[in-house]
Amino acid sequence: MLRVCNLKTFFRIGAGLFGRKRITVKAVDDVSFEIGEGEVLGLVGESGSGKSTVGRTLTRLEKPTSGKAYFDGQDILKLSARQFRPVRRHVQMIFQDPYASLNPRLSVEATLAEPLRIHGLAGNRSEAREKIGRILERVGLEPEAMKKFPHEFSGGQRQRIGIARVMVLAPRLVIADEAVSALDSSIQAQILNLIGRLQRENNVSMLFISHDLGVVRYVCDRVAVMHRGRIVELGGKSRIFSRPEHEYTKALLGAVPRIPRFDYTGREK
Amino acid sequence: MTLLGSIGSAVFGRWLATTGLIWLALVAISAVAAPLIAPFDPLEINPIERLSEPAPPYLFGTDHFGRDTFSRAVYGARMASIIGCGSVLVALFAGGLCGMLSAYFPQLGHVLMRVVDVLMAFPALLLALVLMTLLERSVINTVIVIGIVYAATTARILYGMTLKLKGEVFVDAAICTGAGHSSVLLRHIFPNLISPLLVQASFVFAFSQLQAAALDFLGLGLPPEVPSWGNMLAEERIYITRAPWLLIFPGALIILTVFSLNLVGDAIRDAIDPRFRGDIAGV
Amino acid sequence: MPLLDVSELEISVHSTGGDIAVVKGVSFQVNKSGTIGIVGESGCGKSLTSLAIMGLLDGSQARTTGGTVRFEGTELLGLTMRERRKIMGNQMSMIFQEPMTSLNPVYRVGDQIAEALRQHRSLTRKAARERAIELLRMVRIPRPDERIDCFPHQLSGGQRQRVMVAIAIACEPKLLIADEPTTALDVTVQKEILGLLRDLQEQTGMAVVLISHDLGVVAETCDFVAIMYRGKIVETGRAEDVFSSVAHPYTRGLLNSIPPVDRDVEVLNEIPGRVPSIEQNVPGCSFHSRCTIAAGICREIDPEFSTVSGKHEVRCHFALGSNNRAE
Repeated sequence: MLRVCNLKTFFRIGAGLFGRKRITVKAVDDVSFEIGEGEVLGLVGESGSGKSTVGRTLTRLEKPTSGKAYFDGQDILKLSARQFRPVRRHVQMIFQDPYASLNPRLSVEATLAEPLRIHGLAGNRSEAREKIGRILERVGLEPEAMKKFPHEFSGGQRQRIGIARVMVLAPRLVIADEAVSALDSSIQAQILNLIGRLQRENNVSMLFISHDLGVVRYVCDRVAVMHRGRIVELGGKSRIFSRPEHEYTKALLGAVPRIPRFDYTGREK
Repeated sequence: MTLLGSIGSAVFGRWLATTGLIWLALVAISAVAAPLIAPFDPLEINPIERLSEPAPPYLFGTDHFGRDTFSRAVYGARMASIIGCGSVLVALFAGGLCGMLSAYFPQLGHVLMRVVDVLMAFPALLLALVLMTLLERSVINTVIVIGIVYAATTARILYGMTLKLKGEVFVDAAICTGAGHSSVLLRHIFPNLISPLLVQASFVFAFSQLQAAALDFLGLGLPPEVPSWGNMLAEERIYITRAPWLLIFPGALIILTVFSLNLVGDAIRDAIDPRFRGDIAGV
Repeated sequence: MPLLDVSELEISVHSTGGDIAVVKGVSFQVNKSGTIGIVGESGCGKSLTSLAIMGLLDGSQARTTGGTVRFEGTELLGLTMRERRKIMGNQMSMIFQEPMTSLNPVYRVGDQIAEALRQHRSLTRKAARERAIELLRMVRIPRPDERIDCFPHQLSGGQRQRVMVAIAIACEPKLLIADEPTTALDVTVQKEILGLLRDLQEQTGMAVVLISHDLGVVAETCDFVAIMYRGKIVETGRAEDVFSSVAHPYTRGLLNSIPPVDRDVEVLNEIPGRVPSIEQNVPGCSFHSRCTIAAGICREIDPEFSTVSGKHEVRCHFALGSNNRAE
């Protein structure tokens, strides 16, 4: 459903006092991958590996230097802003920081009504309100939340609102950029379970960007490991986690602190 | 929303700012109800009573035409309010629009902000003088000129703040839901600029008072017959030894008003979004 | 006598509705060359506890309202700034989470290390510089004689945190307080920094108080742990005892909510609900509103510590005991 071919996103940064020296940062350097219908691809890497830039380029928040990204056979990187608008509905993004990603001056209802209005998904106010009420319930918030403003919620609840803003459009591809990294571990588990449930119920495809290998293992079907702008290893998650081939993947897995002798009580596969 | 509430508590939370607010309220009341408060016609000439000392019925004494200084001061509050409000409107609208659009559309900003840089290279008073010499002396023109002078600084400040907001995740999120330029600017960026704009308004108001007084004093501001605090200073400056009250009262009014505006402005600034606190350090 | 003895520490923060107790009767001890990990989620009071030990609560927002903090038998609470300065940076030092902001960008790293040395050891400029190079070598920064003249922005995040460690250990402190020292770092860098701390500890016999939200980090580095929830230690003991026989439902919930890297899990066991806000006064056990095994008594009586085994203590009426699968 999504096929990314040879994607490159370079940033040119002016250096020196008068900006004459120019440095090119190869944030994403020749990246290719595919995501199938209803599949979750994890994109792991450390800070500066370019994993977030991949997501931001696919949602057109950054301009690609070259490469193609076919969504339903259409190269979405070539479309004009106007042509891309209808595609946006199907390619949505969940952001990392639940404190920064909601406009502090908009109520929850206004935040969730905006995408509906832009994409003409609700005929009138009451229809929009009904849809918003339903989505709030699905993400585990009370309908009273509608009238409140972001500062009245905790981090976990805000991330639920962020997820509701995305899911209200019933997108086909969701890009989650460090969607749970800013949350405390007990809340993180709740949000991970929520994302997983919504993903399965709606058969959404997902690009799950994270630095946390445990989280990626829990959520994803396949995993791509990024290092310095490139994908160094890509494969099914059980293979990547049990038999990593690339040195970097091995180093990454080896560095994760483990809790010894703890008997896990979650349902294991 | 909590905006008004937080500004309210910030202003009333400090006695100094509260005093300032009370003073500004008095000025505003005088401006609105000048004909009711002023005991005499501010333009009425009475040569017999010229240069009389402050004593009833002339509370602030009379000037060299025998006009009642108190009445002129009350009408002066009216002028001060008109000049202040007018300049704030011009500065915030022109400057705010210019700064916001420049930050949002970088190509446009390249051109507009260079113009702003040129304007800011002039000392504020010099710029006002140059513009005033090109125009006729009138209330409207004074407002426009002072407005333009502070539009430049307003544009700079708003430019920086809009750039900051443009980098906020919630703006990215709005773009991702499919919001267009007008929607991003009006619904997502502008509402977050309202409180800093309020602070900026209070500072522009204060500085416009000083600027207007200076222009009047130099004989380039309001027409000489208009009772403004600056004009009163300009006209009576030669009597500073014989009748000092003619300068003390309008001078004190200007100082008190500007001081109060700065106090209130500071209080509002402390109440607003901490992200912008450092950006607005005066005009 | 333990090196650091924190006893019944109480901390309050100011709010519009009066003072709110955010750290309630926290007690723990650290022995020479020991490592204690204080774990909890944001707002549990772990960072305030560390700031209180260092005397960095200035009272404008939070202040200590009770308890004692003894360092080698000397009471630290109530010391004047002047008396405290003799201990701080010298016998006791601290590293913070943000390697970006805790170094002053306008000074060379060598000068920042030397500053601590010259203040407490009154070394000459030359001797301080030599010691600084030695310290950079100790924290394994390559080519220390060149790096000493770098500005902070010329170093990577991991190297900056190493410099912070170098500053902290410059005067060979007996106690190091590390507040989320690796949270802003990548896992590979985290592993190196934690390894570094462990090696330094072996070499110098320094004790460490590690504040972290990451149970994995604590499990790997600490020999003693304390788990905090809403301002109280709810479970404490030797790390191997706590992790092998988790007794408090909150500890178990936390451990269960971390997706493991070494096995596939179908559904994570989450802790329901969220931490009640600090303004809210929760009667009884502060965890009862989220606890799956809470009963009537939990809503009324706040449990005292009970011993599970040895030094392993827990505040729970229905401590899970040594059987891990008791759910």
